[in-house]
Amino acid sequence: MNETFNKKNSIPAKTPLIRVSYKHYAWSFLTVVATTVIGRLLVPLFDLVNIALIFLLPVLISAVFGGRGPSLFSSILGVLCFDFFFVPPVLSFTVSDPSHVFVFLVFLLVSLVTGTLATKLRNELERTRQREKRTLALYALSREIVAETDLQQVLGKTVKTVADSIDGKTMILLHDREADVLYEGAAEPSDSTLPDEKELAVAHWVLEHGQPAGRGTETIGEARAFFFPIKAEECTMAVLVIQPNKEEGMINSEQQQLIEAYTNLAAVAIIRLQLAREAEQAKWLAESEKLHTALLNSISHDLRTPLATITGAVTSLLAEGSSYRQETRGVLLQTIKDGAQRMNRFITNLLDMTRLESGILKLNQEWCDIQDVVGVALREIQEILQERHLQIEIPPGLPLVKADFALMEHVMINLLENAAKYSPPDGSITISARCRHNALLVTIADLGAVIPEPDRGRVFDKFYRSESSKRLSGTGLGLSICKGIIDAHGGQIWVESSYENGNKFTFSLPIPEQPVEPSNTEQRANHVI
Amino acid sequence: MSSDGARILVVDDEKQIRRMLKAALDGYGYDIAEASSGHEGLNQAAIFHPDLIILDLGLPDLDGTEVIQRLREWTQTPIIILSVREQESDKIKALDAGADDYITKPFSMGELLARIRVAMRHAAKADDEPILSFGELSVDLAHRNVTIKGEDVKLTPTEYEVLKYLAQQAGRVVTHRQLLRAIWGSNYQEESQYLRVYIGQLRRKIEADPSQPTYIITEPGVGYRLITRD
Repeated sequence: MNETFNKKNSIPAKTPLIRVSYKHYAWSFLTVVATTVIGRLLVPLFDLVNIALIFLLPVLISAVFGGRGPSLFSSILGVLCFDFFFVPPVLSFTVSDPSHVFVFLVFLLVSLVTGTLATKLRNELERTRQREKRTLALYALSREIVAETDLQQVLGKTVKTVADSIDGKTMILLHDREADVLYEGAAEPSDSTLPDEKELAVAHWVLEHGQPAGRGTETIGEARAFFFPIKAEECTMAVLVIQPNKEEGMINSEQQQLIEAYTNLAAVAIIRLQLAREAEQAKWLAESEKLHTALLNSISHDLRTPLATITGAVTSLLAEGSSYRQETRGVLLQTIKDGAQRMNRFITNLLDMTRLESGILKLNQEWCDIQDVVGVALREIQEILQERHLQIEIPPGLPLVKADFALMEHVMINLLENAAKYSPPDGSITISARCRHNALLVTIADLGAVIPEPDRGRVFDKFYRSESSKRLSGTGLGLSICKGIIDAHGGQIWVESSYENGNKFTFSLPIPEQPVEPSNTEQRANHVI
Repeated sequence: MSSDGARILVVDDEKQIRRMLKAALDGYGYDIAEASSGHEGLNQAAIFHPDLIILDLGLPDLDGTEVIQRLREWTQTPIIILSVREQESDKIKALDAGADDYITKPFSMGELLARIRVAMRHAAKADDEPILSFGELSVDLAHRNVTIKGEDVKLTPTEYEVLKYLAQQAGRVVTHRQLLRAIWGSNYQEESQYLRVYIGQLRRKIEADPSQPTYIITEPGVGYRLITRD
């Protein structure tokens, strides 16, 4: 039985601080017996009155360890033993000398007073000890939850502390203000069942009034559990439900104070987390607003520019009386084609980004040969790269990777397009692939201007354009999409930049266990070439 | 192949696409009929008797695959699907349902015309020529012999089977599933990883640069295509 559960109640007599059991009485009895035996041995040496004093010892001992009851018990038992074994006639309760009755009375009085004093002292000590324990528990809880950033952890630690100090099941019901429902925030033991409908109604009452309710209180005293509000500044945000394990278990005023202290701590922690979350949200909103602006700028610029070239070229061709030479017509038509392709790539990127952002991107993973991905990407943007010197270093026999082919193609296209855009037209672009540890590394290197050190991490941020690249048209989307796609595949992407080697964008993909081909040797044996 | 008034039915709910296709294909001498919905397309196919059908996958009333299935109940007219990039699985379903080829929007007219020609040619002739030639690559089916620039290429039996299947379907897309079923049997039609390995090996033997293939082209997420040069 948990000691703290038996603290002083508002009616002290009913629930003594120390739980008195029959054991204490048995001990009192034994000490009195022992005193009697010792007393008998001392009879030849001491006066009767002195021996009577020895009988104060069991009274004191009983008072200190057993409290008022045992001390009273040992005083009476002591008087009886003294009378029976020591006062002549020995072995009889009869008292020959009336003055001995006076000794008995004084003894009784002295033993009662000392017993009471000792008990009081003992109780005081016990109370101080418990107060210290409580302070320590409060301190421990506050220390644990003050730095906690996770609401679940705060609630979990609170219910655990409460359940530890009160022998019972504990649960915190959180209030969802929007839906006006209470839901389980944390429980100790964690498999506790949610309160039934009636109890939830009590919890709602507590939520509304900010007052404790339930068992033994003025409100709905017949409930099985205790309900305490967790509130800060008049706003109740949760309800603490305690259901004692013992049927008769009650919560006394000191425990109630302790629980209030706990709930105050929890309330402060919850408020703190709410404020932190709101601040986070505000920051996120500001950030997303910035992104929206960037997106709108990007859309208006990157869609309008090609649209403008297309419209311009088409209207010139359609214009009445226009007489372009075959050559000029070709140039205009090529402009239209380029513009349309640029718009198409931009829309592909926008779609990729939207899918990455919204979390609806579903990887259609299949076995991919990276050389195949390179081939498809090169074919897709051959017009952009047609004048470039390409160097491809892909050794045969590289392992297959599990990836979404179309998305890997987008990564490759974005990286190649970037390389073409940010490097001199006569500089070569190198595509290489190799295995390292359990990853396949693919590098696209160009001889573009060095990316300043601080920018290297940020080039993968959405809409980020370094100062030097701002004069070139671009969305700042490509690399962030690459990163999103590679992250989704469990890989990494980074850039190395130096004057000697230019820029090297590398991404890694995990290499899974390679597939084994079905044995179809008998089928092959039929073929002869 | 000259288009001596071959009939093409265009089924697309976008008026602009229909108008553009009609104008462009008219210019190449094709006879065009239009339909703006799946049901109308099915009716037109029965009335107009087209030699080829261009079918958009995103029709408002009927699922593209369903249109193909209904058409295939009574006609083997080649069908070319118009689709957008994000519809890989729909494309594969349509191809497996009996469509002959697909083209992704936005597409160039040159590409579409090439697909149309290939589809019609495949529909027209059923017998295999003994030697199939594609530029410098030739596949001698009778002697199981493959040459590049006249030089013999040593292929393993499986590589040869893959190349032969692609060559017989030259110009047309071949889905992973079709290829797997043809080479390894129907038990392995989902195991596309074998294909990656063999296509990779094949490319190293027949392509000048396997990273920039000019014969066997990958159709991302769908399959492969052996390119014809005509």
